[in-house]
Amino acid sequence: MNIIEVKNLKTYFYSDAGVNKAVDDVSFSIPEGKTVCIVGESGSGKSISAMSIMGLIDKPGIIEGGEILLEGKDLLKLSDSGMRSVRGGEVSMIFQEPMTSLNPSYTVGYQIDESLKLHQKHLNKKERFEKVVEALELVGIPDPREKYREYPFKLSGGQRQRVMIAVAMACEPRLLIADEPTTALDVTIQAQVLELMKKLQRDKGTSMLFITHDLAVVYQIADEVVVMYRGHIVEKASAKELFADPRHPYTKALLNSIPTPGKTVRKSRLDTVDDSVDYLSFPKEIR
Amino acid sequence: MSDIVFEITDLKKHYEINMGLFKKPKVVKALDNISFEVKRGEVLSIVGESGCGKSTTAKLMLKIEEPTGGEILFEGRDITTIEGDDLKEYRKKVQIIFQDPYSSLNPRWKVGQIIGEPLALNTSMSKKEIRDRVLYLMEKVGMEPDWYDRYPHQFSGGQRQRIGIARALALNPEIIVCDEPVSALDVSIQAQVLNLLLDLQEEFSLTYVFISHDLSVVEHISDRIVVMYFGEIAEQGTVEEIFDNPQHEYTQKLIGAIPVIDI
Repeated sequence: MNIIEVKNLKTYFYSDAGVNKAVDDVSFSIPEGKTVCIVGESGSGKSISAMSIMGLIDKPGIIEGGEILLEGKDLLKLSDSGMRSVRGGEVSMIFQEPMTSLNPSYTVGYQIDESLKLHQKHLNKKERFEKVVEALELVGIPDPREKYREYPFKLSGGQRQRVMIAVAMACEPRLLIADEPTTALDVTIQAQVLELMKKLQRDKGTSMLFITHDLAVVYQIADEVVVMYRGHIVEKASAKELFADPRHPYTKALLNSIPTPGKTVRKSRLDTVDDSVDYLSFPKEIR
Repeated sequence: MSDIVFEITDLKKHYEINMGLFKKPKVVKALDNISFEVKRGEVLSIVGESGCGKSTTAKLMLKIEEPTGGEILFEGRDITTIEGDDLKEYRKKVQIIFQDPYSSLNPRWKVGQIIGEPLALNTSMSKKEIRDRVLYLMEKVGMEPDWYDRYPHQFSGGQRQRIGIARALALNPEIIVCDEPVSALDVSIQAQVLNLLLDLQEEFSLTYVFISHDLSVVEHISDRIVVMYFGEIAEQGTVEEIFDNPQHEYTQKLIGAIPVIDI
């Protein structure tokens, strides 16, 4: 069963200079309980794809066409209030910068409670408090009862990202979208956060759309991989297939451009993505 | 010329935080008793996580900040006390490439002006000579000559980083401190800039002090590595020693945390 199906999505941005086809005819789906990674460089359209699912595209951006089916329901046809009940409830999102995406003037607990208030109206205050504590515990924050009353500035980057995950997971969403959730973190903290996300997914069966430019992270977390380049999908395959046998020239170039300890010869010149090559001219590799 | 360019001994940098009028200030030891050497022609990397003191070390070496204690010998001379003309000479020999190619280039200046500024300030070269030198440097870092009259905003991150590199090369320095030069760039662009840095090092026999939190990059480019942890040196050694046989617990943890693709 697919939790979400994105079909022929087109998200364009209009300006005096013309149309920027940020996402152009993109289709992919996420099976229940699986992690799909979108990889690509800045400007490839990976974040815009995620924002389109969340209904966060604002002018001058317009979703020109396509369907986004969440368990059969087309999100693009929902009213604003319909979309608001999906956002944070059935679908929620974690952003890259834990420093800026938490509100500095509210306590950590309040911010987790907020989404429960909106989406789980049958709970009373006390039940919600227990749920928040449970959520904090789940993401591995020590002393969750005390931390409920802390403000974000008192937490380290890794802890803030854990809180962001707690906010996103509080209503037990069907789909969690994570946009570069570990890019701003140190390597050791990144490893912890990735481990946590994998564990939550195992325990809760949440499907995940994971956006990153870091192929090594993809290798750690993905079931399926979508490679995007200039608004298009150039290759789609299971993580196993993609890393064992990358087929599209762009994917190959991307993979060869990262130094890998133990593999690349120290101080050798790395392969690069060639600016003069039009990678879109090669056939798409969809497996 | 001696083999060792930098000899750093017991370097300390402490910051006092004012805790209130009648309270004793709190001392934060950003760096505490750091000692290491930089050899001529090598790439020495300083690695560690946010707040470990790697950028502070770079700032002290560049004399952007003054140390609380210890000495920094550059070619046998303590640079913590030099000033005036000596300092100016020192600055010519040691240059820096910054992390963020967006904020480290003046948006109102043209590329030619940015790269030529060190020459205009530090040499008696004529305008024509400066122009020729800038065009030569642009060619060396892989830029087209007609980019001379463009502004930084017309370029992508990787191209901007090339402008920063050309500027650092302008005065024929011996040492370039690279402070996270590729961490703001996309992976594919990162590879281009790393290749360029390695090529330039060979061609101009440069010494790099490379500051990074990305261990895969460090493994690729370094000869020797200093691992820092909470303002102190956890371990130092050659790239082989650090990566193939890490001794310190923290180094092991750090290397264990690198996400690797191994098929």
